Order: sequence, then C-alpha cells, then structure tokens
Amino acid sequence: MIEVQNLHKSFKTRTGIVQAVRGVSFQARDGEITGLLGPNGAGKTTTLRMLYTLMTPDQGSVRVDGLDIARDATAVRRQLGVLPDARGVYKRLTARENIAYFGQLHGLDDATIAARTAQMAQTLGMDFLDRRTEGFSQGQRTKTAIARALVHDPRNVILDEPTNGLDVMTTRGLRTFLLQLRSEGRCVIFSSHIMQEVAALCDRIVVIAEGEVKASGTPDELRAQTGEDNLEDAFVKAIGSEEGLHA
Amino acid sequence: MKPGTSLMKRSALMTVARKELLDLFRDRRTVMLGLLLMPILFPALILGIGSLAEKRARTQLESTLALPVIGAAHAPNLVRYLESQNMKVQPAPKDPDARVRDQSFDVMLRITPEFGAQWRASRSAGVELIYDSSRQDSQIPVARVRTAIEQYGGQLGVLRIINRGVSPEVGQPVRVAQRDVATPEAKRGMLLAFLPYLLILSSFLGGAYLVIDVTAGERERQSLEPLLATPAARASIMSGKILAACAFGMLSLLLILVAFKASFTFAPGQLRMVDVSLPALLQLLLVLLPMVLIGTTLLTLISASVKSVKEAQSYMSLLMLLPIIPTVVLMVNPVKNALWQFAVPFLAQNQMILKLVRSESISATEWATYLGAGFGLGLLLWVVAARLYHQEKLAISA
Repeated sequence: MIEVQNLHKSFKTRTGIVQAVRGVSFQARDGEITGLLGPNGAGKTTTLRMLYTLMTPDQGSVRVDGLDIARDATAVRRQLGVLPDARGVYKRLTARENIAYFGQLHGLDDATIAARTAQMAQTLGMDFLDRRTEGFSQGQRTKTAIARALVHDPRNVILDEPTNGLDVMTTRGLRTFLLQLRSEGRCVIFSSHIMQEVAALCDRIVVIAEGEVKASGTPDELRAQTGEDNLEDAFVKAIGSEEGLHA
Repeated sequence: MKPGTSLMKRSALMTVARKELLDLFRDRRTVMLGLLLMPILFPALILGIGSLAEKRARTQLESTLALPVIGAAHAPNLVRYLESQNMKVQPAPKDPDARVRDQSFDVMLRITPEFGAQWRASRSAGVELIYDSSRQDSQIPVARVRTAIEQYGGQLGVLRIINRGVSPEVGQPVRVAQRDVATPEAKRGMLLAFLPYLLILSSFLGGAYLVIDVTAGERERQSLEPLLATPAARASIMSGKILAACAFGMLSLLLILVAFKASFTFAPGQLRMVDVSLPALLQLLLVLLPMVLIGTTLLTLISASVKSVKEAQSYMSLLMLLPIIPTVVLMVNPVKNALWQFAVPFLAQNQMILKLVRSESISATEWATYLGAGFGLGLLLWVVAARLYHQEKLAISA
C-alpha cells in the first residue's frame, strides 16, 4: 500500500526553476496494479523517484505500508522493489551475480538468494543466468534488472516504464508477469506513456501531465469523469492533447 | 539505532568492496596495466639511470682526456705533466671558443707566450681554461684539467719555497682539512631524490581510474540509481568502494616495492646498498598507506561532485602535479628537518621516504605526527565525500 499526498518537486536549471511535480496525490492498493500514464516529461519519473526515496519532496508526503519516507527511508527501501528509469546492470558480472549483489545489499543469506533467483528466473524465463551481461539484449537486461529489483520479495513494486525498448514478445511476457505480481497480492505501480498498455493492465489509473494529476480512478470512473466510452479517448481528453502519448 | 543495524552496515560495506574488486579483476587488461606497468617501469628506471650515471662517471674519470692546448711549446714541462695525468695533449683547432661552444671539445687550455718569461722570473705564469660552464657534461673533464694544473703548480711552488730555505707551511697560513659527515647511507639517498616522487605519485593516484570508475563511471552506466535504491546506507556503499580502491592501491604498491627490492638488489654501485630489508619495506608501506587513503577519498569526492567521468579525469593533470610541489620547493629552498613538515601532505611523505631510504631513525613523535595528520586528512576528505554522496543529484544520470 502506497499513499501519496500532495507531492511537489522543482529543480533549478540554467533557464530558471522548473516545477516538475505540482501537487500529485494518489493511492496504490495491495493486490492492484496502479498505472501512471502521461506523456514524456509529465513528471512520472520524478514522482516515482520521490516514492523510492531517491529524491526528497519539496512538499507533501509518501507512506509505504504506513511508513513515512521522510522518517524511515531505509525501512521504506526495504519494503520496495524498484526498477528505476536507469537500469544499468554490471556488464562484467553474470546475471546471477548481479541479482546476488542486490540480495546481499538487502541483507539476504545465500540460500534465500539462490532460491529467489531460481524462482525469478523461472517466472521471467531467464535461461541466461550464468552469462556475463555484456552483450545482453535489451530484454535480457530488463529481465535481469527486474529480477535484481525483486530479489528480496518486496510487498510493493515500482517500475518506471518497464516495457520501454522491449520487443512485442518480451512485452507480452512482462505484462503477464505484472498480473502475476498482482495475483500474489502485491502493490504494483508502473509508469507508461502507452495508453493501450495501461488500459489493458491497470486496476487504477493516474493520468499525469505537466506535473499535475489530470484524472484518476478505475477505468470505469475515468470513462464516467470524461464522458468518453473509449478509455483511450478518455485519456486524451483528460490530458487535453495526444502529444507525447503512444497508442 | 536498532541492534543489528551496525552489523548490517558492515556487511553492506564488505559486499560493495567485494563486488567492486570482482568487477575490476574481471577486466583483465586494465588490471594487468594497473598492477604491472609501474613495477616493470620502476626497475627499468632504477637500473637504467643507475648504470648510466655510473658508466658516464667512470668513462669521464678514467678515459684518456683529449686536451687541445694552444701554445704548448711555451710550457713543455707542464704539457709533459698533463700527459702523465692520463691526458692526450693535441694541437688546438682554429677558433677555439667556437669549437668549445659547438661542443666539439669539452675543455681547451691556452698557454700564454709570456709563460716562459714569467716562469723564469718566478712570477705567476698565466694559463687559461676555455670551457662552457652551462654544460653539465663538461664538468668532470674541466675539473680534471684544473686539478692537474693546480697540483703541478702546488708541487713546484713547494719546491721553490724549499729552495729558498723556507718551510712550505709559511705560504699556507691556513690549511683546510675536510671531514664529510654524510654517512654512506645518506650519500646514496642523494642518488634517490626522484624516488619519493615516484612512490608518492603511485600511491596517490595508483588506483585513480578505479576510483573514478566506481562513482562517476557507475553513474554514467546508469547502475548507481538502482544501487542507491537498496536499503544499504550511502555511506556504507561509498566506504565499500573506497575500501576496494585502497586495497587495490595497496596491492599495486606492494608489487612496486617488490620490484623496488629486486632492482636495488641487482643495481650497480652505490644503489645496491639501499635498505630494502623487510622491515624497511613494511615501514614504507605504512608511510604510503595514508597517501593511498587521501588519494582515494579525494578522488571519490571529486567523482561525486562532477557530472561525468570526463570531467573527473580532467582533474588528473592537476593532481599529478601536487606531489611534485614539495620536491621542487625543497630543491629551490632546502629546509631543515622540523616536526611541522611531518603534518604537511606530500611534503611529509617526501621526508618520511627520504628518511627511510637514508636509514635515518624516525622518532615516535614524528611517526605519530605523520600518521595522525595523514589519516586525519583522509578522514576529513571521507566525511566531505560522504556528504556529497548524500546529494540528490548524485544518483541521477542524464
């Protein structure tokens, strides 16, 4: 369970202050997939970075399973499995060693790490565990990064544009995987600029543009709010433009 | 703080250090270059420079010196004396000054036509040495000729005084006896003035590319963000990286010192007597340890504050100059040994290494000052680097 209240975040740049996130609030419940939909540059990544304590909000609060990110950052990170926008894997280590490294940083023992690695490899279809990741395809790298992020069996999973750069088959596999995480009762948040993907997977959708929540709710609620029968039309209407979105 | 938190921290530190070393050692070529280049270069330098200097001095001192003499006919006895001193007197070429300047000859001797007359009148007879004082290479030949002429003059002067029934000591109101207190150990220390710089530089920047790579490089490869999203404390992650770099730096130093030992064991002449016993090498390692820490923490600090690997690397040329500064300052303005010197980074290392190489004793106060100041500075840099590691922008690569 992740509760986000009125998040604000701005950055100083050479051209002035950029308000990346302006008052984002939403709830992501256990056993549900919550999708953050918005065009590139809408503030999705910045919002997620505040969720996993990499950035400190200027204003607002985030609670993960009741823990405040401002006070219990370390405990919060223990409750989270994070696939950030940056998903560099160590190219001179094998996929298995990449996963084990993060398992050790989470304080897991070797037996647990081995068991979790085997389990994740089976679910994600990783038959390349003992190869060094140098020369991996984008899909193999993403799978390694996901397995690494979830090695500690977290209750809450945050994925930033997980299907970015993946081919159709890998994307389909990944969607099945997200549904499985949901069926295991986890709280799943992912961001995307692909309308069809959000429409197909999400129990709840938060539409973000220009750092603000333009609409949020279940697919039915969104259709009702915008008066559009088609969910994709509802998204476009909420944002006010198709720019930066992908069907 | 909950019990077990510190245990967790320590294990995160060790986990990071272990992973960085594993990652590094899989990069075989980089490791080979990093570990073996200096240990191979070092003996080559020592053996090469040592034997070169030795050989040059020997040939210049012992070979027959070709000495063009202008007006040799005016002083046949002097010419015969010079020839008995392993010199080959030959007729002078035209335009002697130019020939010395264009380095055809190191030194020439001109005997004035009045030489004979002055000699017979027991006045000081004039001779003139022609040489170029700005050329180091001619120092030994010039000294040989000058010494030979002075000896000749001195011997005949004594004979003249005795002939007049006077004791030779009358003409020598003061006699200087020289007592050089430089120990043999200190003398070879002079040969090794370049050694501290090499050792300080290799400890200060030996692991530089590794340090830059594990912070600035990791950010550029986009793996720092997921790493910092784990529950491991940032200070532990940073310390693990510093520990790995220090371990690598010490390993490379150890190899350099082994090469050092080997090359001084086989080195020619005086260099062979440099103290390369095991205790001396261990003390050298201890002296260099704070330098490794200072270099690693300083580079970590730089890597955490810059935007890219390239930017971090552009600090390298500046950093390479730092260890030279005290050596140059000491060369221009030699100072007496004082306790404060053991607290000044780079200068302190310079002094400690010279003391060790010269087999001088180092007092407990000097050791304490040295180690205190060195590790103190390392700790200070660590604290600053840890602060930078907590900056928000550190993790964000884009």
